[in-house]
Amino acid sequence: MSKTINPAIIAVATGAMALLGGCTSDPDSPGLEYMPDMYRSPAIEAYVDYGQDPYYFGDSLAKAQRNTMSARLPVEGTIPFAGHEEDAAYNFPYAYPRTEEGYEAAGRELHSPIPMTEATVAQGKEIYDIFCIECHGAKGQGDGTVVNKGNYPPPPAYDGNQLKDLPEGKMYHSISYGRNIAMGAHASQLSPKERWLVIQYVKYLQHGGKMPGEAPQASTTTAEAQ
Amino acid sequence: MSLVYRLLNRPSRLFGAAAIFTFLLIGTAAHAQVDEAEYGAGEKLFKANCGSCHKPDKDMTGPAVAGAKERWDGKGDVHAWIKDSQGYIKSGNAHAKQLFEDHNKIVMPPQPLTDAEIDQVLYYADNFATVNAKKAPAKEAPAAGTAEPAVTWPWWLVIGALFWIVLFSLGGVRKQLANAVREKQGLPPEKDLNTWGRIRRWASRNKGWASVVVLLFVVWMTVLLWNWMFNIGVYGGEKNAHYKPSQPIAFDHSLHAGKDNLAINCQYCHSGASKSRHAGIPSANVCMNCHQAISEGPKTGTEEIAKIYAAVGWDPGTMKYSGEQKPIKWNKVHNLPDHVYFNHSQHVAVAKLECQQCHGPVDTEMDQVQQWSPLTMRWCLDCHNTTEVKVAGSDNGYYQEVHRRLTETPMGRRELKKYLEDEKITVRELGGFECAKCHY
Repeated sequence: MSKTINPAIIAVATGAMALLGGCTSDPDSPGLEYMPDMYRSPAIEAYVDYGQDPYYFGDSLAKAQRNTMSARLPVEGTIPFAGHEEDAAYNFPYAYPRTEEGYEAAGRELHSPIPMTEATVAQGKEIYDIFCIECHGAKGQGDGTVVNKGNYPPPPAYDGNQLKDLPEGKMYHSISYGRNIAMGAHASQLSPKERWLVIQYVKYLQHGGKMPGEAPQASTTTAEAQ
Repeated sequence: MSLVYRLLNRPSRLFGAAAIFTFLLIGTAAHAQVDEAEYGAGEKLFKANCGSCHKPDKDMTGPAVAGAKERWDGKGDVHAWIKDSQGYIKSGNAHAKQLFEDHNKIVMPPQPLTDAEIDQVLYYADNFATVNAKKAPAKEAPAAGTAEPAVTWPWWLVIGALFWIVLFSLGGVRKQLANAVREKQGLPPEKDLNTWGRIRRWASRNKGWASVVVLLFVVWMTVLLWNWMFNIGVYGGEKNAHYKPSQPIAFDHSLHAGKDNLAINCQYCHSGASKSRHAGIPSANVCMNCHQAISEGPKTGTEEIAKIYAAVGWDPGTMKYSGEQKPIKWNKVHNLPDHVYFNHSQHVAVAKLECQQCHGPVDTEMDQVQQWSPLTMRWCLDCHNTTEVKVAGSDNGYYQEVHRRLTETPMGRRELKKYLEDEKITVRELGGFECAKCHY
């Protein structure tokens, strides 16, 4: 062929290919921000690394902020804001220390501020099915999925020898601080009110799947009833 | 090979090897002699009474049970100790007192077991390691590598090259034919123009067509550019590559939350989802709720779990916290711009959506989390437009009030008639399309 391609076209094509080749991006980069002015809140938000953000802070301050920790504990003694006024009392600091003596004292002195009704038991079951069922099992027999599939140390059954007479104060203490090695502290996941609600359901299971006061059924008949 | 060769050449070493081999054989034979009835009974008793504080082969809250009989040999009565540890300490046994003090003075509750049952438990613990070594399943073959994404661009290059070859040859043929005609007519051959020159010559001869082509080209490019701009910053959905950043700890959601695996509820760790705007990245103490007792995983062994321990300052040997903490720097996957307000609790606690509806099959398919949905406004509104709100009979006080106003006032009834034209009340009709619901 007698023709040659215009060198300008070759130059443009090469340039375009080089540009496209540069698009193999860093998989960890969250990518382009379209009109970034309103992407980032000037007020502090959770889970934002303000060190990435030169728009509001300027480069030097942004560098100083980079990689600082955003998830922090509240100041010690902080009392959380309660959504409803009647719930405020739940959030007073917990009086019993994280010791065996504290555990025994809580068992003797601490009692649920919520009277046990079918409604509170139902609320407790909702919480139980999220936070407890994995180990303690659907009926509190210590046969949850984490125990069965994950070979986790099995917790004792609620209606077995060890736990059937456990007072509610000890339950609250165990949920708040954890118990031994196998049960961790759930205070960061459950508010005090939720802890008391879930204890209602634990007491219900402890009583063989009946409201206390009624005669507990034998576990076989409970199984049949369901 | 050379070792075997040397062994075969040295009768004495061969003898030694044979002796070792025989020893191993006897060893495995001894394993096979575990009394299964005794072992099974012990296992059942252990799990019901001891398992929450003891492991058979490792220290947990209490010491490993294996070897307890030997450790107590000559120092006291292991049965009495297990039946009533506090009573046995009071009886003045020095070893019992020592054990109690060595294990943080945690009281072991009295166990209502008979001597025979305790022997079964101890038998189970002593044989646990050998039985499990035998039972240890062969390591799962690594899952077949995910299929490489089909690479298409080389084919486009090939097709492009073919296209140009055909075009140039056709052009050459056409020119030679045209020149042959001109030669016959006694004209000089056509002026030898380059590609751009020929395009300009064609354009100057066909001005109408040229302008149509240019116009179409410009429109096409504008549309492409416009559509492409809608994908800036979109890293999910069906059309765009999903954003899947690496993470400092290879946490596997399918292992923890998968229905066939541990089946831990999403909200166990992301406990903010029903209460707060943010679902929450669990702080490492939530990991430690289980990982105090589990230091080895099925896929990465101790490697990844050790990173949690480093972050919270937990020593798995002594089972104590050192107090030295080092935050984990997770990479944020879902980056919603600040000009949109989104609230998890509204969708989880009120609408009762499944997490998977927006986050995709995190619990079954994601060993590494990726952004599943596009998080575009259209995606939000599509759902608001079609999702029904059960206003009648709702246990939510807000919707009860909405229901009252829609049914008990004349104006409300007129509105309700409009709402029910499509036979359902959607999020849109209750304000899910109002700008200021999300943008303020």
